[in-house]
Amino acid sequence: MSKDERFDVVIIGAGPNGMATGAYLAKSGLSVCVLEERTECGGACETQEPIPGVRIYPHAMLMYASPAPGFDQLELWKYGFRMNWDPTDFVAPESMLLACTDGWRSYTDKDLEGWGILGGLFGTPPFSKELMRSVFWTPPHPAEVEVTAENIPYMQVYKEHAPEVWSEDLLNGTMFDVLDEYCETEWFKTCMAYAAWASGAAAHWEGVAIPAIACAQLLTLTNMGATSFPRGGLHGYFHAIHRCAVHNGAVIRTSCPVDEIIIDDGRAIGVRLRDTAASGGKTIRANKAVIAACDVHQAFLKLVGPRELDPSFIQNIKDISLKNQTLYVSQYMTKEPLQYKDKFKTADGIGDITKLRASGPNAYPWGGVYPCDHRDIYYADVADADGFKGRPTLKPEHKMWFEAPSLAFDPSDCQGHHPKGHISAPFEMALTSPDYHIEGEDAPDTYREWLGEYMTDCYASVFDGLEKDNIIHHWFATGREVELRNTGLIGGTWAGSRHCEDQLWGNRPCPGLERYRTPIDGLYHAHQTSGHPGGLCLMAIPYNLMHILIEDGIAEPGNWWYAAPQYIPEEGKISADPNKKSKI
Amino acid sequence: MPNFKYKEGYYKFDPNDLFGHMQQEFPDESEFDVVIIGGGPNGLMAGAYLAKAGLSVCICERRYEAGGGLATEENLYPCFSTNPHVLYHMMVDYMPVVRDFDLDGPALTWIRPNNQTGMVFEDGSSIMLNRMVQDTKDSFKKYSFKDAVTFGKKIRQWRTIVQDIVAPATYIPPMAPIDITMAMQKTDIGRQMLDIGEMSAVDIITESFEHDKVRALLLYASCMWGLDPHETGIGFMVPLMIDRAMNKCYCYGGSHKFASALGRAVMQNGGLILESAGVNKILMEDGHVAGVTLDEGRTIKSKVVMSTLDPTTTFIDLLGPEHISEDLKDSVEGWTYDKWSFNTLHIATDEPPKYKTDDLFINDSFMNIVGFETMDQVLSHWDNVINKKLDTDIMGGHSTCESLFDPTLSDKPGKHVSMFQIHAPYDLEGTWDERNEEIKQAMLAKWEKAAPNINAETIISSSTENPEEIAIRFPQMRSGAIKHGDYKPIQMGCFRPNQECSSTDTPIDGLYVCGVSTYPGGLVLGGSGYIGANKVAEDLDVKKWWEPTPEMELYTKTYLED
Repeated sequence: MSKDERFDVVIIGAGPNGMATGAYLAKSGLSVCVLEERTECGGACETQEPIPGVRIYPHAMLMYASPAPGFDQLELWKYGFRMNWDPTDFVAPESMLLACTDGWRSYTDKDLEGWGILGGLFGTPPFSKELMRSVFWTPPHPAEVEVTAENIPYMQVYKEHAPEVWSEDLLNGTMFDVLDEYCETEWFKTCMAYAAWASGAAAHWEGVAIPAIACAQLLTLTNMGATSFPRGGLHGYFHAIHRCAVHNGAVIRTSCPVDEIIIDDGRAIGVRLRDTAASGGKTIRANKAVIAACDVHQAFLKLVGPRELDPSFIQNIKDISLKNQTLYVSQYMTKEPLQYKDKFKTADGIGDITKLRASGPNAYPWGGVYPCDHRDIYYADVADADGFKGRPTLKPEHKMWFEAPSLAFDPSDCQGHHPKGHISAPFEMALTSPDYHIEGEDAPDTYREWLGEYMTDCYASVFDGLEKDNIIHHWFATGREVELRNTGLIGGTWAGSRHCEDQLWGNRPCPGLERYRTPIDGLYHAHQTSGHPGGLCLMAIPYNLMHILIEDGIAEPGNWWYAAPQYIPEEGKISADPNKKSKI
Repeated sequence: MPNFKYKEGYYKFDPNDLFGHMQQEFPDESEFDVVIIGGGPNGLMAGAYLAKAGLSVCICERRYEAGGGLATEENLYPCFSTNPHVLYHMMVDYMPVVRDFDLDGPALTWIRPNNQTGMVFEDGSSIMLNRMVQDTKDSFKKYSFKDAVTFGKKIRQWRTIVQDIVAPATYIPPMAPIDITMAMQKTDIGRQMLDIGEMSAVDIITESFEHDKVRALLLYASCMWGLDPHETGIGFMVPLMIDRAMNKCYCYGGSHKFASALGRAVMQNGGLILESAGVNKILMEDGHVAGVTLDEGRTIKSKVVMSTLDPTTTFIDLLGPEHISEDLKDSVEGWTYDKWSFNTLHIATDEPPKYKTDDLFINDSFMNIVGFETMDQVLSHWDNVINKKLDTDIMGGHSTCESLFDPTLSDKPGKHVSMFQIHAPYDLEGTWDERNEEIKQAMLAKWEKAAPNINAETIISSSTENPEEIAIRFPQMRSGAIKHGDYKPIQMGCFRPNQECSSTDTPIDGLYVCGVSTYPGGLVLGGSGYIGANKVAEDLDVKKWWEPTPEMELYTKTYLED
């Protein structure tokens, strides 16, 4: 068979993090090989067409990454990156409504003003981009730097741009505490809380108020309330990253699962592929680095293995908490289109809500969270999903869920005019992760049918048309199936692992690994489970990791590179910011 | 002044404002040397050659993923993927693109099983075409020693025809029939090919072989890819199809790997692929092609546009009848789509199909023909299909268990994906809406009869894709036409799609056609795209970095030079 191949860097996993890392490094002039175990690259940036003319989006749909430096550093526009802006699709003031159990309720100017202040939209100039970047696109400080309210990146941004907002409470309180201070209605707060929880950081967790708000802000403000949907879905956005990597010389191999990271004398020197890999040569050498863009459990427990690691480290890895909810995505094809129930058809003084932004029989006015009457509903929901109970126990009308805007589909997409039926928007619901399922991790597969019906009942509390004889198809995957399809989405958890204080920023995924370095020389990790800031397809880990690879002398990017403003170089290393000297 | 305004009307997207700047997008207007419409195998190949020749190339693909038929998709969502073109990688040995881009190596791995095309009968007997001729003869011997001997002789002749003539000619612009006749007179094998060419598939097979089961297998293998069994004048396809039915390849890791490898070749060389980018118009300026516009409103300017779509879409829908001559318009309007399409049943099962059979190799076979007992039944089924009928009693097709060769298709360890495909009409009598379920059940019943372990207990999930649905997934496969146009003498060779356009240039300055409705035609041949790239490179006076294959050079020397 063929000889071993040799690259400067071998990257395991071609999801958004692995591929963007590949693009950054290839653009820096390194020879790069990205290995993907699935037949298609993209990870959770995925689109499928299970039956002709019906696209489904099993995971990520919405563009959270807007402020990412990657857009200009990698020049994604050159590689065909396009959004799906629909001029009719921006928030109409009269449609600013939230769904509650008794119908729509309006939110108030104070809600929006508070939200805008927290999101940096009212500064002069507005500092939303700087704020978002300081939360997500900043590597954690070196371990020797003591973290204080003064040097946490987002606190620095508030201090500079909106000193009146700056307070220690932002650091220590919960998102609800902050919302209670700045916003007004309970339903607005509950809606945003749910959006934050579904995006990673929960609204009732202490110490993550701003990251939680920022998660939800990425969806709303930075996209001006418009459908934040790239053309072709997030897979279209991924394509631009992929093509940038390929154009700069990265070699991509699909259907090439990795079996082992080869370690010699404490240093990662390459990988061995699994026997079934679609490749002639099964060993691929890395001259400079191996980057595990696969999940942290797999990377250390399986690919490195206990032979090379000490037991306390292995325990830390095992303990990285995945006790997150699994998001179940449902999409329906129905004979007759779904219609809002009567109570949702009108709102005070507004008339027929369905006419506001909808066009075509399949379009719903907008995406939203249902029901968001009060935070007690949110608490009950979190308890149900995070409480290791197994099957959901809430009454369908109290089970919270959200709907991606149906207008997010490309206008050219056949969804809106399928000749055989009507396609719903993706509906998403948080349920217990199977890994913590009281009935065992395969349990959701055993009551798959029941689960399908339960979810349908929940959605049916908002829509008419979900009766059995009107449904042609209902697509969904259980948490277990999600994990089988995309091994990095452990237990079907989208955020990979909890974004709680114990596992955020300098603590993510656990102390000692926070700057993407590992106990093995030449081995770095770059998966959403394994580094700040986690998931959401942000191109943040690759950007943050670049700082570290520059520090270690592996990457020497050209003058297109710029470092995060709040970045602190590590002592004795090369600074990733040429203007910021490290104390060598 | 806050610039986030609410309650003052709708927010307009302004690319110059703070938020617009967050994501810079592909420009509304851009310019390339070459625009290619359609990112299927031919479009990707043409793009890869031309990009590497230094031209700026933009491929516009309507779907969210390039590859066209070279797709690997989760048709049995969740967890089970299938390849619509699993059985159509049949020219891997000859495609210049494989060699020119060094694809057959680390980037792509093809599997070519010895057990290629089996046919199973109700009594448990079976027959098979193997890659190895002696194995095939052994199988034929079960029915007729004479046929086995004949096959051994015939296949030597047929392979020479394929190797020396048909295969290399696939990658060289077509000749007029009279020129072919002249050229082929130059060699013995050429004359033999001409003789075969006059005959229909049924004639060729019944004349040479005596046993009905042998005939049934060979006829199915000759015609399953679209040749009309009674059509005369294109009999040269029989040697090709039978030889290829013994040499199909499976693209390991899924067919889409081939498309991805081609796509990367485009990108590595500076080309661009835009997905979700349906072209809605070919622009003209002063009688010359000027570019295309996309559904989303973007304009891509270009002096050269290559279309891989069918003639109706290219000339009528995108270009507009006002830009073409009456003659060309007539020939486009006279274009006929395929007589038949496919109805495909996909299943995920606990175990691979186990056929009740006298030959255990059937269970390892790449493909098995199921449902027919005699050649007449095969012919009646196709007659029905051509007459827009399906009779569930006389109905059969070919099955394959894809995961047997490629575990990557099943995300659930140890589970399998298979498909069973029958020829079927687009305009079905009784309509697909009415009969889809009945036909699906009949196919399942046929399959279970041949392979009893395919049953309600073992099937995890199933789905079908009928000809109407093929045309929904791929709108340019009008009428579910799997080859964008019928294989008949007046639509083949230099007549595909018409005399003016078969060498890929067209009467319209700057417009080229290079899809499967152009010579040499459909399946994963890589012919039209390659010929198109050659033509454009010549017309733009760009230095070709590639050389013809040795087979092509020999063919050119023998037949095309005086």
